[in-house]
Amino acid sequence: MAFLRSVATTTTAIAASALPAAIAFSSLSSSQSSQVPKTKNLSLLSFAPNPTPTRFGLVKNFADKPSVLHMDAPTSDTKATSQGDAVLPELLTEYMVDMKCEGCVNAVKNKLQTVNGIKNVEVDLSNQVVRILGSTPVKTMTEALEQTGRKARLIGQGVPEDFLISAAVAEFKGPEIFGVARLAQVNMELARIEANFSGLSPGKHGWSINEFGDLTRGAASTGKVFNPVNEGKAEKPLGDLGTLSADEKGEAIFSGIKENLRIADLIGRSIVIYGTEDKSDPGVTAAVVARSAGVGENYKKICTCDGTTIWESSDTDFAISKV
Amino acid sequence: MEAALAAMAAHTLILSPPHISSNPHHPPPLLRSSSSFLNGPSLKLPRQSLTFSLSAKPLTIVSAAKKAVVVLKGTSSVEGVATLTQEENGPTTVNVRITGLTPGPHGFHLHEYGDTTNGCISTGAHFNPTKMTHGAPEDEVRHAGDLGNIVANADGVAEATIVDSQIPLTGPNAVIGRALVVHELEDDLGKGGHELSLTTGNAGGRLACGVVGLTPV
Repeated sequence: MAFLRSVATTTTAIAASALPAAIAFSSLSSSQSSQVPKTKNLSLLSFAPNPTPTRFGLVKNFADKPSVLHMDAPTSDTKATSQGDAVLPELLTEYMVDMKCEGCVNAVKNKLQTVNGIKNVEVDLSNQVVRILGSTPVKTMTEALEQTGRKARLIGQGVPEDFLISAAVAEFKGPEIFGVARLAQVNMELARIEANFSGLSPGKHGWSINEFGDLTRGAASTGKVFNPVNEGKAEKPLGDLGTLSADEKGEAIFSGIKENLRIADLIGRSIVIYGTEDKSDPGVTAAVVARSAGVGENYKKICTCDGTTIWESSDTDFAISKV
Repeated sequence: MEAALAAMAAHTLILSPPHISSNPHHPPPLLRSSSSFLNGPSLKLPRQSLTFSLSAKPLTIVSAAKKAVVVLKGTSSVEGVATLTQEENGPTTVNVRITGLTPGPHGFHLHEYGDTTNGCISTGAHFNPTKMTHGAPEDEVRHAGDLGNIVANADGVAEATIVDSQIPLTGPNAVIGRALVVHELEDDLGKGGHELSLTTGNAGGRLACGVVGLTPV
C-alpha cells in the first residue's frame, strides 16, 4: 500500500531549524505504522517537542499541550487529527499552473523536486496541468509553485475512479471569518483534512463536521456533530475534528488525518467552528461541505459564463448587480 | 437503465455505484494518455477500497435526505434562499427567493461542483450527467442543472417554485453538495444563437451562489 510508505514522509513547511525534530518523528512513525490503518497507536500527535518559534501559532500551541487528542487514541475510532507540521498520507493533487513552454515545465519540476514529501511529478504542458503525488500539505505545494513566479491553482485532489467522490471543500466566506477546509479521501478508511482560517479570535476553537448543511441561521441550524449511528461505539462523534488554535492574528492552520471518514458521507453537511474549545456555544461560523473535483475531473480554464480565466478567478469574482 | 438507477438510488444507499460519469466536458487526459505516471511503482492506490465501497453497510447520508437548502450569497447585495424537497422518487420542488436583483429574468443553474475556490471555474460546468447541450427546463435536450430563469419584480425580488425531475436529492446524480448559481443576465435557454447559447445560455457572470446542503425534513 503506497500510503504506508508515505506516512513516514515528513511534510513540515517550517524553517530548517525544525527539521531535526521532524525527521526524528518521521522515522518513529515509520516503524509504528506497519499496521496502518488497523493500528491505533499511530498517533500523529506524539511529537517530539518542537522548540521552534514560528509564525504558525499552532505549532507553539501544540507544543504546550500535545496530548489532548492523543489520550483518546486507544479507545476512540475517531482519533487522529493533528495540527501544524503533521505527517500526511500520500495523495494525488492536481494544479493548473501558468506554464507556456518546456522551460517552464523544467522550472516547475525542478522546484517541486526540492520540496519535502513530494514523490512524483507529472506535467501536461498542453493542459497546463501539474499532477503531484506526495504527502506535502497543499499550502506548501502552492507556495512552491508560486515561488517559480507562476500562477498556480489547485484543481483536483484524490482519485475519483476509486471513490466516486474523492474531494470536498468547505469555504468560509466571512464577514469576519474566512477560510477553506479541504477534505480528500486517501483510502476508504482515511481522509486527509487541510484547512486555513483567518479572522478567528485568538486562542482555541473547537471545530466539527455537523450533520446538516443548512446555513439559514448560520451555525445554529447545522444540527449536532455528525455521528453516524452505525459507528456510535466511538466515544467521540466521528465528526469531531478536535481543536483549532488561532494565533494572535486570528489565523489558524490545520493539516491532519481522520480515520473512518468517508467524504461521500459528508457532502452537504457542514463544518462548524466554535467560539470555545468545548463547543459549548452555538458556533461562530459554518460552511457547507461541497463536492470538489478529483484529479482529471475539471480542466476548465475559462468561465464560459463571463470569460474569466482561471488566473483571474477567485472566490469573490461575482458580477455586481446593477440595482 | 434509468429505472434501475433510480431504484438503486432509492433503496441501496450505497456509496459508489458503478461510475456514472458526471464529467462530460472533457476526458481526463493524464489518466488516459500519460501512462508513465500511473504505472509508476509509487502509485499503487489501495484497490480493495473499491470492493469495500460496494459491500459497505448502508450509509446514512447523502442518500437518506429528502430535503435540502441553499443559502445564496455574492459580493453584492444579491442574496437568497432556496429549499429543495423531494417526495419518494418524484420530482424535486425548488422554492427560491432571491433579493437584490435587477428586475427581469436571470439564469438559474446548478453547477457540477460546489467548489468556488477558483470562482466559477472550480464549480465546473452546468450539472450534466447525461451529456446534453444547454436547454430550457422543459426541453428534452438540456443539462440537468438547467433550471431556466427566475424573474425579479420591480423591487428586485425573484420568487419562484420550480418542479423538476432531473435534480434528485439522492442517488448518483444527487444535487447535494453542488452549487446553485443565479446569473447576471437572462438565460436564452439554448436558443439565442450566441456561441455560448448551447453551453451556458449566455447568462453572463454570477451574482450569487450557494452550496446545496442537507437539512432536516
